[in-house]
Amino acid sequence: MERRGSFSPWLRLRSSPSVVEDSGMSQTIFVQEKLPNGLRVVIEVMPHVQSAACGFLARTGARDDSRQLAGVSHFLEHMCFKGTRKRTSIQINIEFDQMGAQYNAFTSRDRTFYYGWVRPEDFDRQLELLADMMRSTLPPDEFETEKNVVLEEIAMSRDDLASTAYDILYEHLCADSDLAWPILGYEETIRAMTRDQMHEYFRRRYAPDNLVLIVAGNLDPDQVMDSARRYCGDWEPAGETNGQRVRPQMREGTAARAMDRFHQQAIMLAYPAAAGTDPLDETAEAAAAILGGVNSRFYWNIMQKGLSPRAGAFRDEYADFGALTLFGLCEPENCEKLVEAMRREAAELVEKGVEPKEIARVKNLRRTSLAVESETPFYRLGQIADDIEYFGAPRPAEARMAAVNAVSAESIREYFERFPITGPGYLISVGPRNWPT
Amino acid sequence: MTENIEHKRLDCGIELAVLPLAGRPVVAVEIRILAGYAFERPEYLGVAHVLDEAIVKGTAKRDGRALNDAFDAIGSTHSSYAGRERFGFSCLCLPEFLERAVALHAEMIRTPSFPPEDCAVAVELTSQTLAALEDDPQELAKKLLHRQAYGEPLGRHPLGEEETLERIGREQILDHWQRYFCAARMQVAVAGAVEPAAVADLFEREFEGFRRGEPDLDGLGFQFNAARSHHEKDLEQEQIAICFPGPAAQDEDFPTAQVIVGLLAGGMGARLFTEVREKQGLVYWVGAWSDQSRRSGMFHLGASTTPQNLEKTYTTLLREIDRLSEDLTTEEVERAIAGIVIRNQTRGDITRARAVELTEDLFYHGRPIPTEEKMARVQAVTIQRICDYLAGHPRDRLSVVTLGPTPEKSDAL
Repeated sequence: MERRGSFSPWLRLRSSPSVVEDSGMSQTIFVQEKLPNGLRVVIEVMPHVQSAACGFLARTGARDDSRQLAGVSHFLEHMCFKGTRKRTSIQINIEFDQMGAQYNAFTSRDRTFYYGWVRPEDFDRQLELLADMMRSTLPPDEFETEKNVVLEEIAMSRDDLASTAYDILYEHLCADSDLAWPILGYEETIRAMTRDQMHEYFRRRYAPDNLVLIVAGNLDPDQVMDSARRYCGDWEPAGETNGQRVRPQMREGTAARAMDRFHQQAIMLAYPAAAGTDPLDETAEAAAAILGGVNSRFYWNIMQKGLSPRAGAFRDEYADFGALTLFGLCEPENCEKLVEAMRREAAELVEKGVEPKEIARVKNLRRTSLAVESETPFYRLGQIADDIEYFGAPRPAEARMAAVNAVSAESIREYFERFPITGPGYLISVGPRNWPT
Repeated sequence: MTENIEHKRLDCGIELAVLPLAGRPVVAVEIRILAGYAFERPEYLGVAHVLDEAIVKGTAKRDGRALNDAFDAIGSTHSSYAGRERFGFSCLCLPEFLERAVALHAEMIRTPSFPPEDCAVAVELTSQTLAALEDDPQELAKKLLHRQAYGEPLGRHPLGEEETLERIGREQILDHWQRYFCAARMQVAVAGAVEPAAVADLFEREFEGFRRGEPDLDGLGFQFNAARSHHEKDLEQEQIAICFPGPAAQDEDFPTAQVIVGLLAGGMGARLFTEVREKQGLVYWVGAWSDQSRRSGMFHLGASTTPQNLEKTYTTLLREIDRLSEDLTTEEVERAIAGIVIRNQTRGDITRARAVELTEDLFYHGRPIPTEEKMARVQAVTIQRICDYLAGHPRDRLSVVTLGPTPEKSDAL
């Protein structure tokens, strides 16, 4: 959940010697090092750009909240901008602005990411600032004011049909698990939360052995490492990892939430999917794209039949869990037709397989998207964070393209054998119509 | 370093600007046609958006699926939109596929088939999207404000009105296309590892013989209407939308307006975020921006907040506009300027951003303006210039829309 800006739940917008890995093919240069206190530093050197970006990946998110403290990860993300021993909240913001930085933070279910994008000459100053924020004092006099900001964010989210439906989906799909509550938390948990409770969570989860510093840009990696040691070297480790996370058992079922304030009906139909660490990760992405991406089956056979102005499929992936969600908006009287069409398209894909041109499309578009991503350090941060979470290390572009090239009709068939989408799944419906009853 | 931008009107009538950027992995092509919804006939509002839905559904040579498959075969991303004054196409591809991508765009723009059944679906989907607007409070408030403040034709909404959509069929789509899709109304920008002469030849070749038409050199201006309205709606939050006139992009005061927006909302250290959110916790979202038609400009402020904070948020927004002429500091102005200049520089790594910037130059200024020149104008803004501008343009005429659960008769309104 970004601290500033829009949020769309349909999309996912986070001492050992230096090791230099040169892939040889694409000249991707990664430098990685772990400081004695456990802070991992990953640098991608991009000599062809005129900017630099960095971010602290806190390997903690909403699933690490407890039900009683639902929303603490996200609220904490806000509080890290509110003051340190050296700076007030206003000084933090002003300093970013003085550098002309494009900066923000977001919280998801499994991570929190703080980032900024600047000119190379301002990189060190920005790194020092972000590092200072990671040792926030969570100023007590700012706590209640920021609590009101989070409550406003919750209210804004409730006015948004897509956000509301997405939260309801997880509440049912992953009931009784640490993925069930909204990233923003509930109004009552936020109101009841104390600064001491947040501080205890912060102490455990923002220790250097649970953080990763990710850097990309036109930079000298030795200088970056020197800065990392200078700004982060004295942080105390806490020894806590993510081992307590429990893989959720996804449920099947149906839930409807009638809400008169909305005019359209949001439909979501979710199935278990490959985790981010699964060897079929790229195949899972391809399957979702063929079913509900650009020029996809949903586009031609659902939207272009006039059933829905917006329909598609997306995959949420975590290290231990994945979900493939088919979604669509429709006129309330068209719910049955939309769900029927979604199920029909899913069954057709599973039973008859994919066409060669569909596989080619995915690969061709991926090739272009990899080229676009390589243009800016800012784009690279998020992908490196994913690679670290799911593969343990950043991957050069050609390794990722090789994974895309491995997608085939056969791998998609294998994927749907392991993760079928022809069963009941979990169906949720949110909007003016109380359907299904 | 000054960049070598090639700019010319081609023999076929298209205005073309090319920015060669050696070593870039992708090429960005941005096509603008002066065919936006401001040019619609009043009885067929929404036709430009419907045309946008329908234009990818086939050409004289191939049906819609084959057309989209042809783009996919080269891995080209492509999208289009119907804007206020301009209809836009955006495309990103690898350099080796540029010729093919341009050829496909030419085919789509010159010979769309507009199959009748697809036109009917396009109207139906536009109608559903219009209905879905009711579930998007921020966009709905914007629609209400534009209608109230901008007048005709710039105050229209791209999705039209339910009753005008009902009148639209293939004939009306074809009419809009025939009247406005012509070479002289096209402005094209290309950025990436390309050779300008080759790009010019490519467009000459692909658009040779396309109807030329007449260029639109005038553009449109807002007809500002100061008013205030509240629209009651079952929501958790109140939307606040405010606008008042600002300078046009060609006006010498425009860089001053850019800095004023930066002072209000250029970053989290800017005045609105600081005063409304950081100090008082009244909102999650607050912002300020400028909206430019080709010949006029408008300042906008917006926020959403729960009803108990409505009055305080509104008065703080207005107070912050007034305070600009009272206590600006040199540091603050320098910070706002740095935000504009440096973000422009870092975004320069994005090839598409460079192409989009070029199309804006062509539309507003009739020529590409070197980045250094634009940034120098911003860097020349001083406290004195800002104060002079604000003194000469007091915010005494506002257009305000509120949308939310507060009853019309509430004291907060």
